[in-house]
Amino acid sequence: MHNALKTDSRHGKKPETQKLAFSNTEVIFNNLFGLFTYLAVLVGVVVFAVMAFLIIKYRERKNSQDPADTPRLGRIPIVRGHGRNLMITLSLSTIIVVALIFGSFAAVDTLLTPPNGTWCYGLVPGYGALSTLNPDCPRIDIIGHQFYWDFRYPGPHAHTDKYVFRLPVNGTVVLDVTSADVFHDFGIIPFKIKTDAVPGRTNTIWFVPYQTGNYLIQCFELCGAGHYYMNATLTVMPAPTFQQWYNST
Amino acid sequence: MSQEILPARLSRWLFTTNHKEIGILYIITSLFFFVAAGLLALTMRSQLSVPDNNLLSPELYNQFVTVHGLLMIFWVLSPFAFGFANYIIPLQIGARDLAFPRLNAMSYWFYLVSGAAMIMSFAFGGAPDLGWTLYSPQTSFQFTPTIGLNVGAAGLILIVVSITMSSVNFLVTMFKMRAPGMKLKHMPVFPWAILVTIFMMLYAFPSFLAALLLLYVDRAFGTFYFSSIQGGALLWDNVFWFFGHPEVYIVLFPAVGLIADAIATYTRRPLYGSKYIIGSMVVAAIISFIVWGHHMFVTGIGLTSTKLYTVTTIAVSLPFDVMVIAMVESLVKARVRLKAAALFSLGAVALFVIGGITGVYLASVALDHALRGTYFVVAHFHYIMVGASIMGLIGGLYYWFPKMTGRMYNEGLAKIHFVASFVGFNILYFPMFLLLDMPRRIDTYAPNTGWATLNLMSTVGGFIFGLAQILLFVNLFASLRRGSHSGPNPWEAWTLEWSLPSPPPAHDFDTIPTIAEDGTYHFGSSPGYPNGSGYPNGSKIGNGIAYSHLEGQSPWPIVVAFAAFIFFLGITIGQPSNPNVPVTFQPFWPLVLDGAILGVIALYGYSKERFSVHEEINVESWPFREVPNVKLGIWTFLGAEVIFFGVLIGAYFFVRTNSPTWPAVGTLFEVRSGFAMTLVLLTSSLTAIMALVSAKIGSRNGLMASLLATFGLGVSFLYIKATEWISLGANGVFSVANGLPATSYFITTGVHGVHVFAGMLMTFYLLVNTLKGRYLKGDYHAIEHFGLYWHFVDIVWVFLFPLFYLI
Amino acid sequence: MNTTYLYLLVFAILVGSTDIEVNIVALYPPASSSVTMLFGIIALSYGLIVSILLGLAGMKALLIALFYQHLKYEPRSLSSWVLIGLVMASLLMSLVFIQLHVH
Repeated sequence: MHNALKTDSRHGKKPETQKLAFSNTEVIFNNLFGLFTYLAVLVGVVVFAVMAFLIIKYRERKNSQDPADTPRLGRIPIVRGHGRNLMITLSLSTIIVVALIFGSFAAVDTLLTPPNGTWCYGLVPGYGALSTLNPDCPRIDIIGHQFYWDFRYPGPHAHTDKYVFRLPVNGTVVLDVTSADVFHDFGIIPFKIKTDAVPGRTNTIWFVPYQTGNYLIQCFELCGAGHYYMNATLTVMPAPTFQQWYNST
Repeated sequence: MSQEILPARLSRWLFTTNHKEIGILYIITSLFFFVAAGLLALTMRSQLSVPDNNLLSPELYNQFVTVHGLLMIFWVLSPFAFGFANYIIPLQIGARDLAFPRLNAMSYWFYLVSGAAMIMSFAFGGAPDLGWTLYSPQTSFQFTPTIGLNVGAAGLILIVVSITMSSVNFLVTMFKMRAPGMKLKHMPVFPWAILVTIFMMLYAFPSFLAALLLLYVDRAFGTFYFSSIQGGALLWDNVFWFFGHPEVYIVLFPAVGLIADAIATYTRRPLYGSKYIIGSMVVAAIISFIVWGHHMFVTGIGLTSTKLYTVTTIAVSLPFDVMVIAMVESLVKARVRLKAAALFSLGAVALFVIGGITGVYLASVALDHALRGTYFVVAHFHYIMVGASIMGLIGGLYYWFPKMTGRMYNEGLAKIHFVASFVGFNILYFPMFLLLDMPRRIDTYAPNTGWATLNLMSTVGGFIFGLAQILLFVNLFASLRRGSHSGPNPWEAWTLEWSLPSPPPAHDFDTIPTIAEDGTYHFGSSPGYPNGSGYPNGSKIGNGIAYSHLEGQSPWPIVVAFAAFIFFLGITIGQPSNPNVPVTFQPFWPLVLDGAILGVIALYGYSKERFSVHEEINVESWPFREVPNVKLGIWTFLGAEVIFFGVLIGAYFFVRTNSPTWPAVGTLFEVRSGFAMTLVLLTSSLTAIMALVSAKIGSRNGLMASLLATFGLGVSFLYIKATEWISLGANGVFSVANGLPATSYFITTGVHGVHVFAGMLMTFYLLVNTLKGRYLKGDYHAIEHFGLYWHFVDIVWVFLFPLFYLI
Repeated sequence: MNTTYLYLLVFAILVGSTDIEVNIVALYPPASSSVTMLFGIIALSYGLIVSILLGLAGMKALLIALFYQHLKYEPRSLSSWVLIGLVMASLLMSLVFIQLHVH
């Protein structure tokens, strides 16, 4: 039963200084989530304000009369309402929603298109830009089991770790995630990235950690009684430290 | 007109087929399940209130979270809505009952026994414990060797049967039994919402039934659909969510319809843009069938699919915008009367807005990579399912309580109930949006995650919300006896149910009203019929109108349901035998046989019973003019069967295109026997249609000969199949090595074979009746209806033959 | 046409098509190649044969539905139940195919 180590609760802002965020995926998420929330709050506040205003203004009072078109028992009510008003608000919502979603297609393309390479650290990729690293760099296999994760490092010192996942900071990391038994989901919480671990299939995610530290990994798909206990710690360390560690395994 | 004194005998309720009584049964039963599932939730919330808690073991927690979800979705939300639909829809469209009252009763009893099966699953080594979504392959026998999941699946299968029967019933009723002048466009929004819902139910639930069947066969017979990697997780994901997404709209739309009509009533104005609201519901229902992939955004379905599903998911959010705006605009220049139902309806709209907006977050694949499987999702769907649906339905309870009981509830207490529920709800669920890092369905969490405060807040909200419901029950229960008399129309509403006394008499309308061209109602009276009732054209058919709740009673619906319960329980509670042998669960044969025998007896009794339903001559029946009710019901049912077989064939298609190799034609299955079976079945279709021809011309010999030939051919089909299966078994075809080809063949042709067997039972029944001289004097309809079913079975085989033997 | 003759004619077509289906199977290309020759003149690929088989099955189904189930003579709306089901089942299979094979 592996307990998560302390995570840093600061959240990154826009990538003026990328070092403030935990990873590039976290930046992508924060920007997009921020945009969505801004619009969501705006829309929500407007709708609630209108509703509250209308309910209060048109509430029943002792001296108020029933409106002229009050439906009465004995006849089908008359038709009320222009399609025009509804079409206007419909167009508005369509524009907002389409802009949000197509805007996030760029983010989707980034998240789902891993660049070549893994911890062969070099250039720090900017937001949305692909790494120009050595395409021969190996990728790391993540295998879900009931109830732990295997981290399989390739290369001359190939080996499998459990419970602690070590990575170098600022290196592009590409993970091929699968499962050896049931449907799991591999998620690194502060990095805001996850993917399903499906037996027989391999799903790929990638990210670049920007800060050293310990991060919580958990399983996000109910996989049995030990579901909560299949967590692990991602330890991001400076590149030389990582290289030393890897060479010693 | 006198109010009859209704006996409080249990048998009145056990044998009723009256839509109002069945409606009450649904409502009360669903409230019982609501409390049960709510208690499960409060226990879970208690477990999660502090970190590292051990109030519930992980095993028990997983069972609670699963059963909570299953009970709420299947045994609370829809039945609660359909309790109202049962009671109110016939009144709102000007009918006296549903099209098939005994089928209606049977739907209710299937619902009750299915719930019993689900709750009983706890006692069989543990209830289902993999989430209501029951993902593969953790549901395979290999990973879940206990039979609790089988028993729970039996409960689910039974409720799907109940729902399919209801869908057929309501569809025929709403299309064929509207009062003269009650065109579809004149119906209020609630019946429209129900109409859209039952369309979705008809076409979505067969997919779930197919999925459950495949899961059960995998677990019981060791087949490989969900335990192989070519099928497995993704196959279940697709088949389940193809059903699952329409399902979440199924549990929402009735409440939306209810809210819309309540808003109209309490704003004292017609609803703004009601036809746009209805149109939006129709559009959303259609699109709901092509968005399911958004539950699989991180499952690795590829960029093309994710973008496709994003587009469809966004498209489906737009009709809901229109609905909300129209409802809000209804408040303009209105006279808003804030009674309990109005508060719940408007509150539900506000909560629906929050739920809907957060749905847009989840439609973004990029955000979904962070939010999938977290409490953000939990908050989103609870805002819709509880905030919009449950609150709307509770509003409905206050709205129609006076109509159903003749008493008014206590308005002050109801308002307190609303405030406590609304506040408690938000304290319960809003923190979950902020818990967007926390995984779902975990039984506890570490202290250093920082999730403790929000979880504790959520639990407090949960208890406020839960305890607030006590006010509802106290209010309604006390008002039953001590509430003031409400009169027929306390809300001064316009829909037809308010024209009747509160509560309405057994036969509902003395005279079926007519809606004139100008929209006015006319309640004419015809002379010469007791109690001032009459038929507009003066004719009388059968003895079908119940003037007392005690007429129209039938014992068979409950007996059939009980038989089905015993049968499915027997199939699923057998102990696992040797796990290394393909047959992993032995059915418990004593119960299976008892259930089957009782079922056959009950169905026979059902068909022999003299129960006639009065059909009004003057009805609105567009677009099914000239189509008799039973025939319409059968075609409706066949529509559902198309999806059922479509998904079974789809599963085969899935694993086949996902498999790198597949045995060549003729290596596993003999083309010759498939050819023989095809010829036999085609000939039986010919004899079936000749039977109809003979019946129509009154030729007894022709009818006997055709039916005998059909029976003989059907039995030959089953015989050829049996010998084929025996030889396949002997040759080791049904073995582990042949995995998916054997699995898909066995299941698909097996299910078809069960349909043939059912057809043979029907043919036998028709033969016996023919010997007694029936069907020859213009009453040939049973032959026609059997033929429709039988030709459908033939059509399915026409596709199965090339799919399994020739390609 | 007398209805009985109509039903017998439909039956003859149904049986005849089934015969064709079974015989086409003999034309499957051997495992080593992907095309084969029909009368030494026309090549038939696996995909084409499957299309022919499913096309014949569809035709048979249509005949049974139109004539034995009487849909040709019923109001159009009555066919809508199964047509809607067919459209949905096709959507399911198409979208699943895209999921599995189009990236």
